[in-house]
This record gives sequence, C-alpha cells and structure tokens, in this order.
Amino acid sequence: MLQPVPLAPSSSAGYNSPVPPVSQTIRVTVLFFGRLKELTGRAEHSIEFADATTIEQLFALYATRHPELAKYRSSVVASRNQEFAAWDTPLRSGDEVAFLPPVSGG
Amino acid sequence: MATLPHDDLYQLVREPIDTAALARHVRAPEDGATVTFDGFVRNQSHNRPTLHLDYEAYESMALAKMREIGVQLHEKYSIHRVAMVHRLGRLGIGDTSIFIAVSAPHRAAAFDACRFAIDTLKRTVPIWKKEYFEDGAVWADGELPPAPAATPRAKPAS
Repeated sequence: MLQPVPLAPSSSAGYNSPVPPVSQTIRVTVLFFGRLKELTGRAEHSIEFADATTIEQLFALYATRHPELAKYRSSVVASRNQEFAAWDTPLRSGDEVAFLPPVSGG
Repeated sequence: MATLPHDDLYQLVREPIDTAALARHVRAPEDGATVTFDGFVRNQSHNRPTLHLDYEAYESMALAKMREIGVQLHEKYSIHRVAMVHRLGRLGIGDTSIFIAVSAPHRAAAFDACRFAIDTLKRTVPIWKKEYFEDGAVWADGELPPAPAATPRAKPAS
C-alpha cells in the first residue's frame, strides 16, 4: 500500500494523486486555425509534458518557439475538447486544445 | 445537451448550397411562415475589389456550436424547424456562404429566431474567412467568442 505523498501546503491542486507523480506525462493534441496556423506552420501538433500545465502555459510554450504568436495572445480564445475554455484550465492527457483567432464565419 | 428535432438540419458543406431545397425542407402544413437568411460573398471589402474568399472551420466544434444555437432557438422561440448550412472552401462573388431557414406557425418568431441565429453564429462558431484581393490576402476581421474568464473554483466555505 502506497503512503500518501506529502503535498505542499496548498489546496489549489484540487486532487490528491494516489501515486507519486514521477512519470505522469500528459499528452495533448493542439490545433491552430486561421492566421495562427499560418504563423506556426502547422494545423495540428501532438505534445507531451511531464508536469501539470494550463492552456496559458501551453500557449506560452508555442510563443517561445514562434515569438510572433505572443502579440496575438489578447485576440485569441482557447477551447478544450471543443468547448471554449478559460486560460487557467489545467490540461489532462488526451485533451484536444485549439487556439482560435476571432471568428469570421457567415 | 437538449436534443434537437430530428428534422432540423445543421451542416458544413463544400458544394454550392441548394437554398431553395432548404427553404422547402423546413416548411410543414402546420406552419404559416418561413424566414430565410442568405449570406453571400460581396464583391468588395473596404472598397477593395474582392476576387474570392476561402472559408475554413474547426469542423467538429463548429457543427457542435451550430447545433447549440439550434437548441437555443427552440428554447427561446415558438418555431418549428431550422436548417442551418455553412459552406467551406473557396467561394466566388455571389456564392452563398451561409443559409438559415426557420419555419414557425407565426412570422414574428421566425423573424426573431433567424436574426438570433445568424448573429450568434457570427460570434460563436469557429469558422474563418480569408479575403483575396488583386494585391494580396487578409484574414477577415472577426469577433472574439465569449470564453470563460477563469475556471470555476470550489465555493469557499461560508
């Protein structure tokens, strides 16, 4: 029987992992549309993290690879599993995240 | 999510939209009115002549959002059937890009629902258009869909 892992004195994690978080990798699919697709040069990307990551951190990661992305941050909304999502949403393995420029259908 | 009437129609297509067939599709003997919205490609944008438009979508989410609009229409208005079809890919001047048809027993609900449908689609459905001109192309100015400001937290103890 595993002993509970001592957690930092914070309740913000929202859950207590029953196993030590050593090899927990999170794999998500990331989609880019419109000018963001042109800017990153890709429509779809699969990416893996070792640590808990939010949508905001995911965007920041791509912005380090494609610095021009940063200036679009305020005019992008994100979705997680096809629902509009807040930037502080934590990602879970298997999530589909999309970065969406202002929509112009119709 | 609430279910939609099985004879409603929500589609993304790459071929020309048969607007007359959609308008016919929503008609039923118990209705008294159909209101349609036909959105088509304008020949200019900010006084620059347009050559054509390319539409792209986050297709699975766009379709889900279109169906969500349908659910709202049936909740808010006394309507009968909805047909909502958006075309993707390259469209020329005058081509219909979006067609919405709403039938109802009485005209007011059909007018209101059709207006709500196109206004909401333009704000919330992940579809984008790129405008091509003689001297280049630009992504059309769009609207930023309303998204949650922050993830809901557990209620603090009161």
